[in-house]
Amino acid sequence: MTMRSKRRARRAFWIGIAYNGIGLGTAFFFLAPFFVGILASFRPSAESGRPPLPPWPLTGFSFDAYRTLDGFGAGIWQHTINSLIVSLGTVVLTVVVSVLAGYGFSRYRFPLKNVLFVLIIATLMIPFQSILTPLFIILAKLGLNNSLFGLMLIYVTLQLPFSVFMMRNAFDAVPKEIEEAARIDGARDIKLLARVLLPLVMPGVSTVSIFAFLNAWNEFLAALVLLSSNGNYTLPVLMTAVRAGRLGAIDWGAVQAGVTVMIIPCLFVFLLLQRYYMRGLMAGAVK
Amino acid sequence: MTIVPTAASVVLADIRKSFGSLEVIHGIDLSVTEGEFVVFVGPSGCGKSTLLRMIAGLEEVTEGEITIKGRDVTDLDPSERGIAMVFQSYALYPHMSVRENLAFSLKMSRTSVAEIDRRVAQASAVLKIDHLLDRRPGQLSGGQRQRVAIGRAIVRKPDVFLFDEPLSNLDAELRVSMRIELARLHRELGNTMIYVTHDQTEAMTLADRIVILRDGRIEQVGTPRQIYEDPANTFVAGFIGSPRMNLLRGRWVGPGRVRVSGVEIDVPLSVAAPPEGSEVEYGIRPEHVEIDRNARSGMPATVEFSEYLGGTRYIYTRLTDGQNLTVEDRTDIAIENGQSISLSRHAGKSLAFDGNGGRIR
Repeated sequence: MTMRSKRRARRAFWIGIAYNGIGLGTAFFFLAPFFVGILASFRPSAESGRPPLPPWPLTGFSFDAYRTLDGFGAGIWQHTINSLIVSLGTVVLTVVVSVLAGYGFSRYRFPLKNVLFVLIIATLMIPFQSILTPLFIILAKLGLNNSLFGLMLIYVTLQLPFSVFMMRNAFDAVPKEIEEAARIDGARDIKLLARVLLPLVMPGVSTVSIFAFLNAWNEFLAALVLLSSNGNYTLPVLMTAVRAGRLGAIDWGAVQAGVTVMIIPCLFVFLLLQRYYMRGLMAGAVK
Repeated sequence: MTIVPTAASVVLADIRKSFGSLEVIHGIDLSVTEGEFVVFVGPSGCGKSTLLRMIAGLEEVTEGEITIKGRDVTDLDPSERGIAMVFQSYALYPHMSVRENLAFSLKMSRTSVAEIDRRVAQASAVLKIDHLLDRRPGQLSGGQRQRVAIGRAIVRKPDVFLFDEPLSNLDAELRVSMRIELARLHRELGNTMIYVTHDQTEAMTLADRIVILRDGRIEQVGTPRQIYEDPANTFVAGFIGSPRMNLLRGRWVGPGRVRVSGVEIDVPLSVAAPPEGSEVEYGIRPEHVEIDRNARSGMPATVEFSEYLGGTRYIYTRLTDGQNLTVEDRTDIAIENGQSISLSRHAGKSLAFDGNGGRIR
């Protein structure tokens, strides 16, 4: 081995160390909160007030925190189901409406199209807290206050501007010729959308779904204001209720347990949909 | 010999197209015979693609009537016209395998599975893509994608094939081989084909008849030979042929005589001769001009530069009155830039055009 190649090998070795070291360090910072939170949720209640380090339970694992959580309100299962109904409903409604709207905005010509589109996008500028009161009154008039369906409609409304924008871009990226080829092949309207175009805008749909799910799942303020009966609370509302322990002390154990429970569906949704982020799906269509 | 009556396959009757108040196609009349290979050719923006898309049903017809096999299809959906189209960009469905791409139109029309399999097998055999059926378009080369796009048209068993610049995305070598392939396909299938291109080589080699378009109007319709040898006007004369036909300003000095750059030239005598002394254009193709070795009766010219291409040589010259003339030369006479030479013309190959560019015949 010559001097030079030896030097090059040594250089490559150190670069490898640095590369992997930085990667591991970054991963540590991302994963540490999860470990701290999950481990802390297994502390027995006597220990839950201790400082966060070391995070693991000192006197053996216990499920006290989860038991507290389950005993609270209408039970953790009921609240999880509430949250799931609202979040999944939001996803489905958002996707259906934004796919149709995005397709329309991308492909059809109609009067005031751009004005309408800008108006939809402009609603992103309105802080939703500022319209909470009117929303509350409207829902009350519709007889939808304190209902999960009403909450779902609010979430869909808040989610739509971004989603329509996203889907319009996704449809814009699909070459027109593909649609024309499909029309010559005899696919029309809904068939054309479902069989040919939808698979091509799947990355957009999955982005919209992930955003809709996470936002609906984590939303707190609207849920707190609009839901009034205990049995209807979604998880974020339950979490604040759980936090308040006896005599104003915070029950950190229950909070950590709640956080852990809340993470699971988010992870699940993300892992399920992220494979549709496949790049180069469009490759080979044209050119 | 019996005369076989040939049925008209596609008939365009006074087709017009406007985008808003702008008319882009100004009344096109054309009849395409059954089994004919017709090529629309013209510079970009001449409306050739728009015309094709109107036949396909992708573009609405503002005025006029389109008939395919005797059926008025002007307002029919693209899928009901009995046509299939191959796009310049292939437009394959990227999320489907080659097999699914080919089968898609048949599935849409609810053809039985056995029939779909049969037709897909048949088409892929003709195009030699049977080994690619389970791949996705993304895993294919440009030429293979083009075959799949053609295959997708074949399985539909259309009355008319429409091609919209199908070879433009391929590299030069592949383009030549696909061109030959297309000619073979036309021989084997015998369908009517309408083909749009801006490439005159494709037009000349593939077409039974060429339709030359400019600014939404037909300039001339004819066989490649007619178009090349008997152009109707200066536009057609200049558009087809490479290097272009020499078009020189001249003056009509008598029946069948034109004076160009101080030399009087015979042109085929015309029935409707222009008035004596009027301005005309004189056209001659580069391959019909020769260097006159004896430098006697020819047209004097100065060599500006020449391009050597192996078999031929293009000599760019300047005449005494400053007009340029290109010569396609196959001799090996030594020529230098700046040299004075004398040019002679093949008899009977001269063309004359009137002041509006129309042919004087």
